[in-house]
Amino acid sequence: MSNKKANFIIVDDSELDCFIADKILKYADIATSISSFLHASNALDYIKQSANTAETTIVLLDIVMPVMNGINFLEEFEKLPEEVRRGYHIVAFTSSMNKKDMNRIKSFKSVIKLLDKPLTSEALIELMGEIK
Amino acid sequence: MSEKIKILYIDDELNNLVGFKASFRLNYQILVAVNTSEAVEILTKNPDIRIIFSDQRMPDKTGVEFFEEIRSWFPHPIRILITGYSDIEDVIQAINRGHIFRYVKKPWSDSDILSAIEEAHKFYLANSMLAIKNEALQKAYDELDKFAYSVSHDIRGPLSGIMGGINVAKHLNDISDIKEMLGLMENSVKKLDAFILSMHDYYTVQRGEVRIKEINLSELINDLKELHHANLIESNVKLNVNISQIEPFWSDEIVMRLVLNNLVTNAIKYQKHDNEDKRIELNIEVGRGHATIYVRDNGIGIPENYLNEIFDLFFRASTQDVGSGFGLYNVKDALLKLNGGIKVSSVLGEGAVFEVTIPNK
Repeated sequence: MSNKKANFIIVDDSELDCFIADKILKYADIATSISSFLHASNALDYIKQSANTAETTIVLLDIVMPVMNGINFLEEFEKLPEEVRRGYHIVAFTSSMNKKDMNRIKSFKSVIKLLDKPLTSEALIELMGEIK
Repeated sequence: MSEKIKILYIDDELNNLVGFKASFRLNYQILVAVNTSEAVEILTKNPDIRIIFSDQRMPDKTGVEFFEEIRSWFPHPIRILITGYSDIEDVIQAINRGHIFRYVKKPWSDSDILSAIEEAHKFYLANSMLAIKNEALQKAYDELDKFAYSVSHDIRGPLSGIMGGINVAKHLNDISDIKEMLGLMENSVKKLDAFILSMHDYYTVQRGEVRIKEINLSELINDLKELHHANLIESNVKLNVNISQIEPFWSDEIVMRLVLNNLVTNAIKYQKHDNEDKRIELNIEVGRGHATIYVRDNGIGIPENYLNEIFDLFFRASTQDVGSGFGLYNVKDALLKLNGGIKVSSVLGEGAVFEVTIPNK
C-alpha cells in the first residue's frame, strides 16, 4: 500500500527536534517535500512567498520558541489572505504541559491537531489518515 | 534605636494634647491633632506613624467611628482608644470588631500609656515582619509558577529530543546521519546540564547569605579565563581584560563570579558567526567606594524593544545558541543583594555593553 503524502514544513528552534522530525517523515514515507526552519519568522516568510498550489502542506509547529513563538506564528498566519493559507494544516507539537497554552493553541482555526514530543512515525501516519 | 517611634494623638481638648506631648516627647516623636480631619492630614503626610491614640468623645465623631473609617486607608498603624468607663459598651464592640488594638482608661497615667505603646509596637513589628515575609512568599510563588511552566519546556524539551533521537536511531542506517544526530543530542544534554547549573545559581542567589570578603580580582579573572578558555578558542573570540584598582575591593565572591561568568558567557554566545574579529572587552574599575564593570562585545546586539525584558526570568531575546532564560535574571537578582545594579545598551548588529556597579562594602 502506498502512503498518502503531503508537503511538510517543520518549525522548531531545536536543531535536534528538526532533525528527528525530518528523519521520521522520511522513514514513515509520507512527505513529498520537507522544509525545516529554526526561526518561525523565516517559515512565515517562506509561506508568504510560496506560489500556492493548494496542495496539502502540513506545518509541524513547535510552540515554545524565543522571539517569535508558535502562538505569534499562528496569529500572523491567520492574518494571511485565504488564497495563501489554502491547503495548509497546522499541527502543533510540543513538550510543554501548560494547559493555558494548549487551550490557546486549540482555539486557532488552522490548528488541526496537537502532538506530544517526541514525534513518532505512528502518530504521523495516524495524522495522515485524518487529513482529507 | 536610631529613630524615635512616631505616635499620633487625637483629642479635642488642647490641654490633653499638650500634657501627652510633654510626657512622652523625650522617648517618642509625638504628633497631635485636635480633630479627625487634621489627623487624616497628618497620617497622609506621615506614612511611618506606627501608633495612633484617639480620644473617644470628640465633637465631630467618636474615636471608634474615626478608627473604623481610617482602618482601610491606613491599615498599618496600631489603633488605641482613650476613654472613660461610661463608654465601655462602645469600646467592647470596637475591640471585638477589630477596630482597635486596646484601650486606655481616662484619666490615663504615664505607665498605662507606656505599656500600651510597648505592646502596640511589638504588635506593629510582628505585623510588618509578616507583611515582608508575605511579599517574599508571593514572589516565591510567582517564580514557582514560572518554574513549573519552564520545567516542561526546558527540562522535558531536551529530554524528549534525546528520546526522539533514540527512537530515530533504530531506523538510521547511514553512520554519518547517526554521528550528526549524536552531535545534536550532545547539545541537548549540555543544554539540560546548563539549565540545572543555572537553577543552582538561582537557588544560591535567592537563599544564600551574602558573605563579604576582600576580592582578589586578578585571581578571579584568571579563573574566569580558564573556565572559558576552550570556549573562547572554539568560538574564535578574543577576551581582553583591564583592571584598574586604587583601593581594596570588598564584596561577595560568589556573586562576583556569577555576574562575570554570565556576562562573559553571553558575550561569547551572541557573537556574529561570520565576524573575523570577535572581541570581548572586560573592564573593571575599583575606586571611590564602588566597582564598575563593563562587558563590551561586538556581537549581534539586542533589539531595542527587548532591552527592558532581558533581565526577566525565562525571557529570551534571541534564537541564536542555547539559553535558559536564567542567566541575566540571576545576575540582576544577585546584584540587588549587594545594592548594586546593571544597565545595558546596545546597537543592533554592532554589539552590546553591560555596565555593572557594585558598592565596595
